[in-house]
Amino acid sequence: MGFLTLPTWFAKKPSAARPFKDRSQIRVGIPKVLNIWTTHQFWLGFLMSLGIASENIVFSSDTSEEQGREYGKGRGTVDCCYPVKCISGHYGELIFGLKKKIHILLSPMIHSLPSILHGHVVDTLTCTRVMAGPENIKAGYMKGRDVFNENGIAHVSPFVSLGDRHMVTEQLHSQLKDIFNLDLEETSRAVRDGFTALDAFTEKARNQSRGILDWCAQERKPCILVLARPYHMDTGIGHEIEGDLQAYGYPILWLQYLPGDEDLMKWLFEEDLDSGRIKSPFDIGDVWQSSYSSNTNEIMWGAKVAARCPWITAVVRLSSYECGMDQPTYTPAQKIVEATGTLFFKFGDLDSTKPAGSVRIRVETIVHYMARYSEEIIQRKLARLSPNCPVPRATA
Amino acid sequence: MGQGTQLPVVNHYTAYKAKPFTRAQRKDVTILYGGLTWKHERLIQGALRNLKYNAEPLPNIQREDLDAGKEMIDVGACSPTIFTTGNLVNFLKKEAAKHGKEEVNRKYVYVTAGACGPCRFGQYHESYSMALDGLGLRDFRMLLMAQDELDQGENGGSGLEVNMSLMLGLVWAALCADLLGDLEYLIRPYEVTPGQTEKVLKQSVEYLYELFLNRPSRGEKYGALAWHLTTNYFTKALREVRKMWDTIEVDRLRVKPKVKITGEFWLQTHEGDGNYNIKRWLEQENSEVIPPAVAVWFDYLMHPLIHRMEHRHAYARHPKAMQFTLKLAERLYAATYNRLRRALASLPNELPDQAELARLAEPFFHFELRGGEGHMLIGKALYVYHHKKAHMVCELSPYSCMPNTMSIGAMANVLGKYPDLLYAPIEVKGDSDVHALSRCQMILTEAKRRAQTEFDDALRSTGLTIDKIRQYEVEHPELRKATYRVPHQGRAGSAANYVLHLASARGLGK
Repeated sequence: MGFLTLPTWFAKKPSAARPFKDRSQIRVGIPKVLNIWTTHQFWLGFLMSLGIASENIVFSSDTSEEQGREYGKGRGTVDCCYPVKCISGHYGELIFGLKKKIHILLSPMIHSLPSILHGHVVDTLTCTRVMAGPENIKAGYMKGRDVFNENGIAHVSPFVSLGDRHMVTEQLHSQLKDIFNLDLEETSRAVRDGFTALDAFTEKARNQSRGILDWCAQERKPCILVLARPYHMDTGIGHEIEGDLQAYGYPILWLQYLPGDEDLMKWLFEEDLDSGRIKSPFDIGDVWQSSYSSNTNEIMWGAKVAARCPWITAVVRLSSYECGMDQPTYTPAQKIVEATGTLFFKFGDLDSTKPAGSVRIRVETIVHYMARYSEEIIQRKLARLSPNCPVPRATA
Repeated sequence: MGQGTQLPVVNHYTAYKAKPFTRAQRKDVTILYGGLTWKHERLIQGALRNLKYNAEPLPNIQREDLDAGKEMIDVGACSPTIFTTGNLVNFLKKEAAKHGKEEVNRKYVYVTAGACGPCRFGQYHESYSMALDGLGLRDFRMLLMAQDELDQGENGGSGLEVNMSLMLGLVWAALCADLLGDLEYLIRPYEVTPGQTEKVLKQSVEYLYELFLNRPSRGEKYGALAWHLTTNYFTKALREVRKMWDTIEVDRLRVKPKVKITGEFWLQTHEGDGNYNIKRWLEQENSEVIPPAVAVWFDYLMHPLIHRMEHRHAYARHPKAMQFTLKLAERLYAATYNRLRRALASLPNELPDQAELARLAEPFFHFELRGGEGHMLIGKALYVYHHKKAHMVCELSPYSCMPNTMSIGAMANVLGKYPDLLYAPIEVKGDSDVHALSRCQMILTEAKRRAQTEFDDALRSTGLTIDKIRQYEVEHPELRKATYRVPHQGRAGSAANYVLHLASARGLGK
């Protein structure tokens, strides 16, 4: 036996170097707010890959006035848009409202988002308020005394650029390693699993939207596109306006899960591509120049799709009170949609209380206009498009 | 293509795109710009005219600009957007009435910011273009300046040549204007002859305007850079400026609270109706203002790049070299600013250390949260608090400003930890001055009390009396010169520092 063999004998075996880290008992609470609405699958995939049991990953409830009153009262630090302000209630519910206590409150500061427009726009950043929301809300729970500490909860808000995948492992490892006892390799694996889960979910949702369009084409029925930010899916923020419309039999498409299939996109944007107006169906340079903000970019793109897609005969725009990112888009989005005669309805200044009466009247108005004009809109839009329609249509 | 030809033509919505501004048009076209103080704008005018551009700043913001802006753009815009849109609208309206729309389109181009990452600031131009539509001036040229490029319309335009000489001229003009601004606010509250500071300030600005107008050409690239970094052209001129300020007599025994102005970039920099003229109002309320320097913003812009190079080397082909270059640039920048400061007897405030601002803010606001002033608002508040540079912080936040509301929220946590930090966040809508100013006054009352206590303590600890100091000043008239430098003695107030300085450096007192 040579002298150099000794280190090999006494070296730590790989299995010994990485002891199993049992995280099955750790309970993680995630406020179901803002961009969590379109990235939740990443966080589930990420945490489960780390060994957190699925039943120990807890999302807060949908936003409600009661939630804010019961758990968020006195925690507000500033007057800003409701989707950010309401996070106080979500935090409170996770801290005080659960029978089985959480150990970690995970409230990521999402800097950029995965987007169907990635590579076609300048950037896919989130809104500044949305990005910084956790710092703001945390202040409400720490300004007098440290409520997290008192309740034995670790508050973590990693700054993470989900739109720039190559950066995510380093970001999450550096900010979560002490909380979850992470090493770089398992972080990398968890990030990969997170994105796999997110991509699979997004693809499935987009396929379902494509299915809706196929159904509309075959049945010669119209549908409605909801042009809104991800958090408007929250019943306490979007106030289920799309649900009221769906009750009248109109299928609903959400902007975030519009299908981006190549055949469909080429068909819808053929004229724009041929004329050189845009370089790709996902190029929004013709309507929006400072394409930094992910959700804003997608709103502009969604408006373009709606203007061209025959079966989307109406667009319902949702916007929360004091939304600074929406404000510059009001007129452009409406003009994009209405250029082809597509119906456009805006519910602006949404806040904590659902204006049920006016919503009902407006829903009835929308339904009336859809019933009256949809067939004409579909035919007119179809007439402008190539006959090589990729969507199977009913024969006349 | 289907049956499209039989249908009415669809005019798809198209975003505003500027018609080109070409090199050939340069001599007949006036470049409009704005958004800073009149001092900055005048020196920038000198730098632009030096390079043979016709350049005019827009008139200073007025209250009626708010009304004009509100009429032309979508509801819910932040107040800087409304004010600046209205400012452009009112200017163009007047010009169009005088010379006709065609002439306005031919004669002017407007240069404005076209990017600021996630903040709405980078989308101001959407409001401007909406206003241009409303005015029937769709062909008016608006050029968007991002932090790294200028969109000059179709085919590049190239009427405005963004080269090293231009950029250095603009940056040096901004630095010199910052230094003059610091002098102005440092001296005016203590001037013995009312109006003298104003007079000398105007003389100084005009003197420096000529300096920029006659700036020698040293090429468009590294020659220009080397010259700007090494020349005594600017320092010599600033020493002349200092002599002008020598003539102002000051009374340093006026006890005034010192108020540090922070906030959203446009609002904190602005001097006029756009922020209720709050800096002048504070002076009228018997306080001393520390104005925000544009130079700090330039410094701030460099830091995220350095941080990225340090943490994510994949961003550049030669990250180490890039990191070294950026750090060198930062050092040179600070050295240049200090060199210019020294020419003014080091009276203007030094630049805060960006790394320290980030470190101070870190427990409350993540360094990488972008938009607006990012972590700097919290960093600056804690910086002046820990270093005793001011009695109170007045943060100017535009109504519905997105990044500012976030840092104001996070300040709740800061105030929990430092309850004696006097902090007045002022929301500026543009038309509710009584509400905003009275809110500021509440905090200012406490700041005044602290300034007086600090001064009384200084007198007590040194055994000095006001009469004794006055008598000493008669024998040493240099002390009453505006350019006499009183080093910081660990007190926020100028009067307290002066007393302690006389005791320690001049041997007065016990």
